[in-house]
Amino acid sequence: MKRTTLLLSALLIATVVMGGNEKYYQKMGETLRKFASCSSVEDFQDLANQFHVIANMETKEWLPLYYEAHCYVIMGFMDHLEAGVRDGYLERASVSIEKMVEIAPDEAEVYVMKAFYHTGYMVINPPGRSMSTSPLISAAIARALAIEPNNPRALFLRISNEMGTASFFGSDTAPICEKALELLESWDSYKRKSPIHPSWGKGETEGIVKRCGQ
Amino acid sequence: MKYSLLFCLLFLIPASLFAQGIISGVVTDNRGEALIGANIYIEGSYDGTTSNLEGDFILETSEIGEQILNIEFIGFKKHREKISLTGGSMELDPIKLDEEVNELTAVTITAGTFEAGDKKKSIALSSIDMVTTDGSSGDVYGALQALPGTTTVGESGKLFVKGGDSRESKTYIDGTLVYVPYSSSSPNTSVRGRFSPFMFSGMMFSTGGYSAEFGQALSSVLSLQTNAMPVQDQLNISLLSVGAELGGTKTWENASVAASIGYNNLSPYMKLVPQYTSWKSEPQSFGGDMSFRLKTGKSGMFKFYGSANRSSLTTIEESLDHPGTTFNYKLVNDNQFFNTSWIGEIRKNWILTTAFSFTNNQDRIAIDSLKINESLRGTHAKLSLKHKVSDRLRILAGTEWYAKTFGMEYPLAELQEASTYTNNTLTGFFEAEIYASSRFITRVGTRFEYSDYLNRSSLAPRISTAYKIAKRSQVSLAYGWFFQDPDNDYLLYSNSLDFERADHYTFNYLMNGDKRMLRTEVYYKKYSKLVKYGIGENQQYSFVNNLGDGYAYGLDFFWRDRKSIKNGEYWISYSYIESIRDYLDYPGEAVHNFTSKHNLTLIYKHWFDSLRSQLGVNFSIASPRHYNDPNKDVFNGEKSMAYHSLNINWSYLPKQNVIIYASVSNLLGSEQQFGYKYASVPDESGTYRSAPILPGAKRWFLIGCFITLSKDKEINQLDKIN
Repeated sequence: MKRTTLLLSALLIATVVMGGNEKYYQKMGETLRKFASCSSVEDFQDLANQFHVIANMETKEWLPLYYEAHCYVIMGFMDHLEAGVRDGYLERASVSIEKMVEIAPDEAEVYVMKAFYHTGYMVINPPGRSMSTSPLISAAIARALAIEPNNPRALFLRISNEMGTASFFGSDTAPICEKALELLESWDSYKRKSPIHPSWGKGETEGIVKRCGQ
Repeated sequence: MKYSLLFCLLFLIPASLFAQGIISGVVTDNRGEALIGANIYIEGSYDGTTSNLEGDFILETSEIGEQILNIEFIGFKKHREKISLTGGSMELDPIKLDEEVNELTAVTITAGTFEAGDKKKSIALSSIDMVTTDGSSGDVYGALQALPGTTTVGESGKLFVKGGDSRESKTYIDGTLVYVPYSSSSPNTSVRGRFSPFMFSGMMFSTGGYSAEFGQALSSVLSLQTNAMPVQDQLNISLLSVGAELGGTKTWENASVAASIGYNNLSPYMKLVPQYTSWKSEPQSFGGDMSFRLKTGKSGMFKFYGSANRSSLTTIEESLDHPGTTFNYKLVNDNQFFNTSWIGEIRKNWILTTAFSFTNNQDRIAIDSLKINESLRGTHAKLSLKHKVSDRLRILAGTEWYAKTFGMEYPLAELQEASTYTNNTLTGFFEAEIYASSRFITRVGTRFEYSDYLNRSSLAPRISTAYKIAKRSQVSLAYGWFFQDPDNDYLLYSNSLDFERADHYTFNYLMNGDKRMLRTEVYYKKYSKLVKYGIGENQQYSFVNNLGDGYAYGLDFFWRDRKSIKNGEYWISYSYIESIRDYLDYPGEAVHNFTSKHNLTLIYKHWFDSLRSQLGVNFSIASPRHYNDPNKDVFNGEKSMAYHSLNINWSYLPKQNVIIYASVSNLLGSEQQFGYKYASVPDESGTYRSAPILPGAKRWFLIGCFITLSKDKEINQLDKIN
């Protein structure tokens, strides 16, 4: 009887714990599915709020912070908004990024998001900000690649940067196109650690490859 | 049986999760405006929602009992509210959020102030503008002369602000005083700043009413922040038509070292392009600098910067006292400067700043065989503590110690005794920033100074406010007393002098749109206790006293538009000023010689995508300045010709790590003349002989090439020009 009680309570605890974890995965999955249908500021704000709530619950997880930052960075890229408003969103992104770096300093994706955030900050006012920001972007990408040399999102950001520079200088884009194609072909071979880990970037890489073909 | 109980239990737990309750409400700011996109959630649960366009929200939750509802929104304080959930639907009272007062969103004091930096929102110009705005090719002070409130004084090149003399403006780098911010040059020729604008990522230029943190300046303060830690190793090569520079940067995880070395020689250039000035030996300079950065702990940053430079030149001047003869004017300048600073958060909301600077400057002048040596050695130590008491109150307190030794060797016996003086100045300042709301800020402060050489002390109250009257516009007011030691020349002569004083009254209106800015300012400045003296025998000062006074008032206007023209932007900067003084050897009230009543600068920059080039055009016009003709009865009654200058520059990027830059000052070759100089004694006919004061040359050309080498090809010096 005593043994049964013990077993029962152990099982119960396990269920609750598992259930908690399961709920986190379930909640993340649910929220992530909404990403695809987001387009307006309001959509992304709502999504960022949801990730914020999850991040508050799961203080040891970096992924909710990652996606919260992602939403705000995307909002920061919306060029129909005023610069001051965009800066406000990016400021929010940086808060999540800082927390995330503390929780998971050895995750490549963390630095990918950091590079993405710096890019968002720079494009608001390239003449005024490229000086201080472009080295930060390169450094963040380099850091991500040092941890994970085949991280497709870090590679994508690097290629996208190189592409921007090359088209600006009218130099040959063929070698960069080749790299983009290579990245696209190997994209699916990259194994995510879990289904809720970042997966964006393939479409954007396809975009580059498509423009190369033209 | 036992297992079925377990199964029941397992089913029971999730079952309770499905009992949904509904909470509804509305989120607004203090004035009842709906907040769209606020985050509403139950603490310790996944249940949350977002407010809609009307600020309304509906939150579904399975939680029951006593819970805490959180409401968060960017720019507002987090709101927490206890609620008791029963599983049914409940409507909450309207939730009003309090605005959060933070540096990013709150109103800032703009009276008298121009700020530049990446993060500041009310900036008039970005740090890059310091590099690309002007015809003087990357001179910090040249760029500032495009701002209203300044007067272009062609024969000086220094800053003259709102009717103030150039010595009334002080330059600080990372909080420390730069005793000698300008290069040395022969009389009536233009000087440049000693520091490259590329060193800085932020600046605060105040043309009046500045914080109690700054003293020893009657007119203006320029506070420059050096760049943060570089993140990548690189090598920079600069080749200019007048010299070359080589620099390198090495970085580590928490530290970096950068060093550069440069040599300039204007001889080949000046032999090619005709000059008004006759040179015996054209200007040349050789120098280097080194900087070091170290991150300490989580938020601390230690910075060191040091530089050493030697420059020399010799001109051939026509003698006005002995017509038909010439003399050589030779100048050798040696300058060493270093500063260190450490800034860090020592406890939450307590920021400590310590800073120290050292300047050693020596000008060795030889007028034929007559030798004059001028030396200055100065140190500045500063300690300040900033405390955020709450988001409505911030206080700043600090203390400083300035030590300056100034010496002059002059071959006249009378002066030998008083050829050097040392002054120690001890200061203390306290300031409080009070936010009544994020729309209304008041800054009150006071500054104490004691000089041991003069044995005098001063207490300077300062107050300024800013109020946001609408989303994009604000008014700002500033008032304060400002003190400064008399100039070295007089202190060398006498220590029974008092501080000179200026009182500032400034009213500012600012409209800051997304890509447009309008800034207007009216001000009044009252000078008192200015140094006055008579000229005795042997051209010596006599009766040096503090009985001088004066005033200045005027209007500044600044408009910047980055919106109307695609890939282009333009600025209009205009100042009107009336200024009268009775000081130095003036026989009475007079308009001094360094102020133009009207100053207008028009700037246009255009980026050509297809050419990968930026064109900059800068047109300045200034009304005639006064000068004194000793042959006339009225003191300072003559007027020089108006000043016109059209400058253009072109920057081109052939490759991503190469920039080619070219500029021409006074493209049209407009005649420029800065008044006249006169002989010290009249000739036989009783008149003082004269000669016009001219710029060094009709036009000034510069061509340069900047190359950056780094492991990462992304980097270039694009930032240097664009």
